[in-house]
Amino acid sequence: MTKGWVRCQLGDFSLETEWEAVPGQVLVLFGPSGAGKTTTLRAIAGLVQPLRGHIEVGGQVVYDSDSQVWVPPHRRRVGYLTQRYHLFPHLSLIGNISFGLTKRSTADYHPKIEYLLRSLQLEGLEERHIWELSGGQQQRVALARALATDPQVLLLDEPFSSLDGELRRTLHGEVRSILSEANIPVILVTHDREEALALGDAIQVIDRGQTLSRGDPLQVLGQPGQARVARLVGVENVLSMYVESRHPQDGTMVCGSRDAATGPVSTLHLEVPLSDLAKGQPVTVGIRASDIILAGEKLVSSSARNQIAGKVIAVELRPPGYEVTLDCAGIGFRCHITGTSLSEMGIKPGLDLWAVFKASSCFLVAEDAV
Amino acid sequence: MANFHPMREFLRTPNPWMPAGIAATVVYVVFVCLPVLALLIRAVQQESFADSLTSNIALQALRLSLITSLVSMVVVVVLGTPFALLLARSDSRILKAVDSLVELPLVLPPVVAGVAMLMAFGRQGLIGPALSGLGISLPFTTIAVVFAQMFVAAPFYVRAAKLGFQSVARDYEDVSQTLGVSPWRTFWKLTLPLAAPSIIGGLALAWARAISEFGATIMFAGNLTGRTQTMPLAILSAMESDLGAALSLSVLLLIGSLAVLLVLGMFTRRQWQGRL
Repeated sequence: MTKGWVRCQLGDFSLETEWEAVPGQVLVLFGPSGAGKTTTLRAIAGLVQPLRGHIEVGGQVVYDSDSQVWVPPHRRRVGYLTQRYHLFPHLSLIGNISFGLTKRSTADYHPKIEYLLRSLQLEGLEERHIWELSGGQQQRVALARALATDPQVLLLDEPFSSLDGELRRTLHGEVRSILSEANIPVILVTHDREEALALGDAIQVIDRGQTLSRGDPLQVLGQPGQARVARLVGVENVLSMYVESRHPQDGTMVCGSRDAATGPVSTLHLEVPLSDLAKGQPVTVGIRASDIILAGEKLVSSSARNQIAGKVIAVELRPPGYEVTLDCAGIGFRCHITGTSLSEMGIKPGLDLWAVFKASSCFLVAEDAV
Repeated sequence: MANFHPMREFLRTPNPWMPAGIAATVVYVVFVCLPVLALLIRAVQQESFADSLTSNIALQALRLSLITSLVSMVVVVVLGTPFALLLARSDSRILKAVDSLVELPLVLPPVVAGVAMLMAFGRQGLIGPALSGLGISLPFTTIAVVFAQMFVAAPFYVRAAKLGFQSVARDYEDVSQTLGVSPWRTFWKLTLPLAAPSIIGGLALAWARAISEFGATIMFAGNLTGRTQTMPLAILSAMESDLGAALSLSVLLLIGSLAVLLVLGMFTRRQWQGRL
């Protein structure tokens, strides 16, 4: 278990963050670059000196500003994987993995090294130079090197960012199983939604040195409760609306569109989950692009509470599928569909379509007090 | 483009200044090689090549040059390495000023350096009287030779070592520490090996500069056979009496210089260079 909090000051940038990671679980620190994710990792590793704080690694206090405890990085027992791996170029693959092992302990660690080589599919490459390895192999070597010294916590700083999508997905699976076998807390820094969902057991959204939200990755990334978080995690449709009427018997309310500056315009109406907001109050509604169904004509009999007519204004490739932007009464709706749907429906700009989605696909986000 | 050859491609491209470039290259190569060739031819032509090499004066000069340059290199490495590491890793303003001072001996005429050292350590110098109070007299001793060599050669080493250390990104050292390796062991296992090509190159240049030291030595240490007469000084003396000895010593120094070039070519290129 590792937990703690730190306050750091680096020039103009100030960071205040608190975390708790459980063995066998991956805590994702999610946020844009410059948010303070890497600084948090470096503080845990002892590579930056916080202003104030308290850090525990594996139950041991490694930093405490009040009682003036400071354990230097090489005694903290953290595994740290940087974005660019920083494999040591003057050493072979095996030299890198066993770098942190002293001569005396090499014998004890031998089975461990063999296990790492085997489980990360690096057998037979022991004497290779680092630059003779592929990107994916280098990534595995860096992981093996970090795990070889039996760390009490593993810190991963965007370890997949330099790999292409296909390889990344393969490695996610591999890493997932290695990490659960290692049974130590893992803190993963990323700004990739897919990665956060694939690897994270818990997530913490950080922006500009502040933790905005924390919880279950599916919840936080799927239906974030704050507009700022929604934008950070890439919710495609975030709409400014106001409450038009409440329908407690259905557990819904109908909202009309609102111009952020001038007020209600009511060109668009949505049925969304009920909240305790009163009639006339402003509300921000988020809808994920993947939750919207496109239909060629209005569905005559359907349980979906929202059907909105629009015109296709843009079609963009968004692997693995496509993003179709619909102009619905002046508001752009972004919807994700597969390539097959795109060709079967013959979707191209200018086509009239219906956007269909359930009331429960809409979620309310709180506008931040700025 | 399997057969793409940059040089051939370059030569094929018409370029207004290319004829001038080729002419200048030829002139330059002739200018450097002709004297070297002449020296070799004359040295080989003389009958007593081996004899003059083993003559007393030549042997003494050779011995003195080797010993003094070795001692000055040891001191330069022992003091210069931590100094270079500090310069590479610190961004204090004072050190920045010190950093630019390091290169002063590179541009200072060696004779001036010799005069300056005499003004500092000479009998009438700044700290000379204090030294002679302790029974130490530096000028015109073998130690003065070492001093002169260190003064002119150290910048070559410090500068190269500093660049070598700078080329090792801090992240490597960070990662090493998180692997449980102390800062001290990180230096020996990681930083030093990674900076080694640059350091060895700097050492080779510094040694070449030390062994060829002339101006500062003759000013500060004099030209005493067996005590302060290094090879370059012996060549000057021999030119007046024994051209054969001068030629033989010159060839020896030439061979030493070529060896330095070889070291530079061999040890300062590592397969992993440019991959840090």
